[in-house]
Parts: sequence; C-alpha cells; structure tokens
Amino acid sequence: MRAEQRSGSLMAAPYAAFLLVFAAYPIAFALVLVFLQWDLVTTPSFAGLDNVRLLANDGRFWRAVANTFVFLSIHLPLQIATALVLALALNRPLVLRSFWRASFFLPVVISGAVVAILWSNLYATDVGLINRLLVRIGLTPVPWLTDPSTAMPAIAAMVTWKNVGFYVIIYLAGLQYIPRSCQEAIEMEGATAWQRFRHLTLPMLLPQTILVVTLSTINGFQLFIEPYVMTGGGPLRRTYSIVLYLYTNAFSYQKMGYAATIGVALALIIGAVVFIQRRVIGKEETL
Amino acid sequence: MPSVHFDHVSKRFGATTVVEDFNLEVADGELLVLVGGSGSGKTTILRMLAGLEEVTEGMIRIDQRDVTALPPRERDVAMVFQDYGLYPHMTVRENLSLGLRLRKVARKEIDRRVAWAGDMLRLEPLLDRKPKQLSGGQQQRVAMGRAMVREPLVFLFDEPLSNLDAGLRAQMRIEIGGLQRRLKTTTVYVTHDQVEAMTLGDRIVVLADGRIQQVGKPIELYRAPVNRFVAGFIGTPPMNFVDGQLLREDGSTVFAAEGVRVQLPHEIADGTGSSEVVTLGIRPEDLTVDSGDSTDAPADSIPGRVVLVERLGGTSHVHFDAGPHRLLASVSNDRLPEVGDSITVRVRAERVHLFGGDGRKT
Repeated sequence: MRAEQRSGSLMAAPYAAFLLVFAAYPIAFALVLVFLQWDLVTTPSFAGLDNVRLLANDGRFWRAVANTFVFLSIHLPLQIATALVLALALNRPLVLRSFWRASFFLPVVISGAVVAILWSNLYATDVGLINRLLVRIGLTPVPWLTDPSTAMPAIAAMVTWKNVGFYVIIYLAGLQYIPRSCQEAIEMEGATAWQRFRHLTLPMLLPQTILVVTLSTINGFQLFIEPYVMTGGGPLRRTYSIVLYLYTNAFSYQKMGYAATIGVALALIIGAVVFIQRRVIGKEETL
Repeated sequence: MPSVHFDHVSKRFGATTVVEDFNLEVADGELLVLVGGSGSGKTTILRMLAGLEEVTEGMIRIDQRDVTALPPRERDVAMVFQDYGLYPHMTVRENLSLGLRLRKVARKEIDRRVAWAGDMLRLEPLLDRKPKQLSGGQQQRVAMGRAMVREPLVFLFDEPLSNLDAGLRAQMRIEIGGLQRRLKTTTVYVTHDQVEAMTLGDRIVVLADGRIQQVGKPIELYRAPVNRFVAGFIGTPPMNFVDGQLLREDGSTVFAAEGVRVQLPHEIADGTGSSEVVTLGIRPEDLTVDSGDSTDAPADSIPGRVVLVERLGGTSHVHFDAGPHRLLASVSNDRLPEVGDSITVRVRAERVHLFGGDGRKT
C-alpha cells in the first residue's frame, strides 16, 4: 500500500509541479499584486486598497465589463444554436461525414491571431468578401468593424465560427448517448421531427448544454485577441473587452497592481455568472 | 378488426437476406410469439411491422390497411423495447402520457387513461418518480403502461423480459399474459426463450435463418414438430437425437444405431423405406430408467451407463451413455441411479419422432 502511494505521488508530481508554477503561484502573486503598485521596473510599493477603490470608480473598466456582456449576450445563444444545429446535421448519415466533421473542427486549432487577421479581411468595408457578396445581391455594404453598432456583433459571430467545432464534438458525444430505443419509442408514439427534438433530444442534451454554456462563458469573458487584432478596442471603445483593458494597463501603462486587480475582479465576475447560470439551467439536471 | 397480415415479406441488408418470403396472419386479439435463435430474423420481422425497418419486398397489412410504406407514427402500433426505452428525464406519469399529449388528446382523457394503466399495473405510487429510481420490473411495467395508454391496434414486444432476473422474468411473464388476455389486443411477441414462447403464445412461429420452420399452438409444436430444428428448439430439456438406420425385421421396423435399438410401432414406421438413414428423436420424459442389470431387458429398451445425475427437486436429469451417444432422461426422484451405474432405459416407442436425412419429419 505504501509503495503504491509512493508511486502514485511520483506519477502525479510533474502535474503538481506544473500546477504550482503556472497556476497556484500566479494566482497567489496576483492576489498580492492587488495591494501593490508596481511598474515592472522599480521596487513595488504597498498601495493598500487604492487599486480596488480605483477599479470601483473606473468608468473605462465598467465600460469594458458592459462590452463583454454585450459580446456574451450575442455569442452564447449563437454558439449554442450553431453547435446544436451542426451536431444534429453531422449526426445523420451523411456523404463525406468525416470530412465535414473535420472541416468544422479545423478553426478550433488555428491560431486566434491568424483567424482574426483572416476575418479582418473578410469584414473589410470596401474589399472584404462579405460586403462584395452583399453588393452582388443588391445590398449596401456594411462597415462591419468600423461601425460602433456592428463591431461587437461581428466579432461575436467570428468567435462563434472559430469555436463551434469544439462544442459540436461535445454535442455529438451527447447525441450518441441517447438510447436508440428512446428515439424509436417517441417516433412510434407519433412525434414529429420537431416534437422529437423538443421532448427528447433537447432535454437529454441538457448536461452538454450546461457544459457548453459554462465553457463558452468562461472563454467569452477572456475575449482579447480578436478586438486586439481587429479593432484595437474601437470604434468608440465599443469592443474594448475586460482582458484587453487588463492588458493595456499591464503592458502599455505598466500598472501591474491595477492590472492584477482587474484580473481578480474578472475571476470573481466569471465565478458569479457561472454560478447563476448553473442555478438557472442546472436545476433540471437529474439525468 | 385489427388483424395483421404479412404477404411475401422479405428483408435484405445488401446481399444478406435476413427474412425470406415471410407469410403470416395474426388473428384479431391473438398473442403470437415469434421465437428463434439470434439471426433468425424475428426482431427484424417485428421492426418491419413497427415501421422501424423498411420492407424490401412484400406487403404488411394491419386491420386490412396496407402499412408497408407508412412511418411508425401512422401505424397505430405500440412497442415495448428490450431495454424499455423509457425517457430518462421524464417522470413515470410523463412517460405514460407523452404519446397522448403529442396526439393532442384532451387532458381529462389523458388523466383517465394514465390512472387506468397505473391501476392495472400497480404504478400509482411510482407516478412521480423518474425511471432510474425504479427497479427493472417496475421499469418494465411502465414500458407496458406506456404502450397500453395509447390503446393501439397492435402491441409489439421485443424480448421484453431478457433484462430481468429469472424470478422476475417468470412473474412478469404471467403479468404480460394476464394483461393481454384482459385487453384482448392483438400482440406480436418476440423472444429467444422457448419457455416464454410456450407459456405465453396462443400460437408460436418458430424461425430459423429468416424462414418459418413451423407455426402452431404450443402443444402442437411440442407433440408434432415438423423438423429436427423445431424438435430440438421446443422443449426443455431438449430432445435427444440419435443418427441411425431403419431395418425391417420379421415384418416390423427397427431403428438401429450403435448401442441403441428401438422397435418402432407401425404408425411411426409407416411410409419409411428400408435401410433409410434417419434421426431418431426422443423427448427426455419419454425415457424411463430401470436401474439394475439389463439381462432380461424388453425389446424397446436401451442399455446405458450413467455419467451425471442433476437433481432438480421434483424431477432429475439422468445423463447416460448408450454406445457413443450421450442421452438425457428426465425422471422422477423415486429410484435415482448413481453415477457409473449400468441402467436399462425404456423408450416409449409410440412417442418417438423420426427425421429424414433432410431434417424433416418422415
């Protein structure tokens, strides 16, 4: 038994070390930084609750929080709907099914910066492919990334496209868990395709939906690369996300203490939102 | 009235023929059992009737209506699945009522039918539970209730008892039989278990390799199997088979094989040729064990040596070797031989079966 314990600890050691160095230590360091003022160069000085007080009254921070919520309010429903529809389509007998599955997953593994640059070109007002298609069918071009009202929705659509393959896989796994006899039973009971989806498929995918909502919420709050590359937070700061604001404070203004405070606040917000989500949609989960 | 007709129904998956030229009429109110081993096509036939499997050739009619091309929901049949197919996220009440709700049946009528099924199947205390909170037998009853409340033209059962333990299986078998007799709903029941088939079926269809071997009342199949397959499939313990030859001796016909000689009565021997190669079939209960030596043995007896005695309580199974043949006698417990004993086994020659080289009854 003791030998077993020792070999177990030994095998867990590399991961434990990784966790200590890259998770536990940074978290602890960030928590300390909240009470410091530090520009990365000079010696840190104790700042008490100055950073927290500043954050509470910082309009730009709250603007970024609002922006991020706008992003999530578009991204989450879009992400769930597209992932679900694609999973349902890819779960049917389909010509070239493996090819389609791989195609939808491909964007997940492409670097976020590359995708952002690619989509900047697609979204370009005058020469972008999307606007050219719009003009072709007789519509007026849309200044996707330069109009304050369309910039964040455009980014949300792009992020949805990039991540959809990952959530499709989660839903596909869930779909394969629905017993065939249940599907046949409800079919024999007279359910139409919509009724089968409404009364069997959707409720039985609840655990997957909770997972998709949780993961895409956590990911969504960390929105950074896309506005950083595509809009720089504009126009009119409408795409300024929390993490972009954190990054700017840390590496443009060298305010490490304040950046850490934003980071801790972000972690608390994510925790609170995920908690509320689970309370609301998780209460039905008794599968 | 809702009868079911299969007219020349075939099913092929690619080059493989699973069901071949299947013809059958299920009478109104009848409980018909399809029985056969795995790969016999019994489940495929049921699924074609349900509409879950396409028919390659032929026609299926329910209540004289051609349903061959109709989707399951337009056939008005209800099925009880092997793994029950209950909706795990719904309570028992919701499971029972979903089909009616989907068909927009009035609320009052739904409540009435759910109460009726709940009462009949003793489900009332379970109505607000979810399937995973129920035992196997309770889930089985919910699955039956879900089929009942629909009041369909035909009930389909796909091996409904195979996930239950032996005791519960016997109990549920009785419940299903009783329920069907009370409801008088035309029922097609698929099983691989011949005991289920014998005890439940008004008639039994024995299938092998996608073809009907025999259709008949349980006792007909038992007493007069048309071929060796049916003879071996129906009855526990299974029939003994001995390959041998027919000989004419002094105007009578004798079955002869190494270690086994049985003088056949005229009604069995009639119509057979001399020196014909045949298989003799003897039910275990048609063998009587006379312990002791076989010096003054009568003509219809076989000498043997006991190799195993299985004591089952009421009766016992005596396994013995007669020449190169291992045979089984089902005997009462009065005078059981011991392993290694020499015995004389008397054959009730009027009850034996003869099968020709092609397996058919001669």
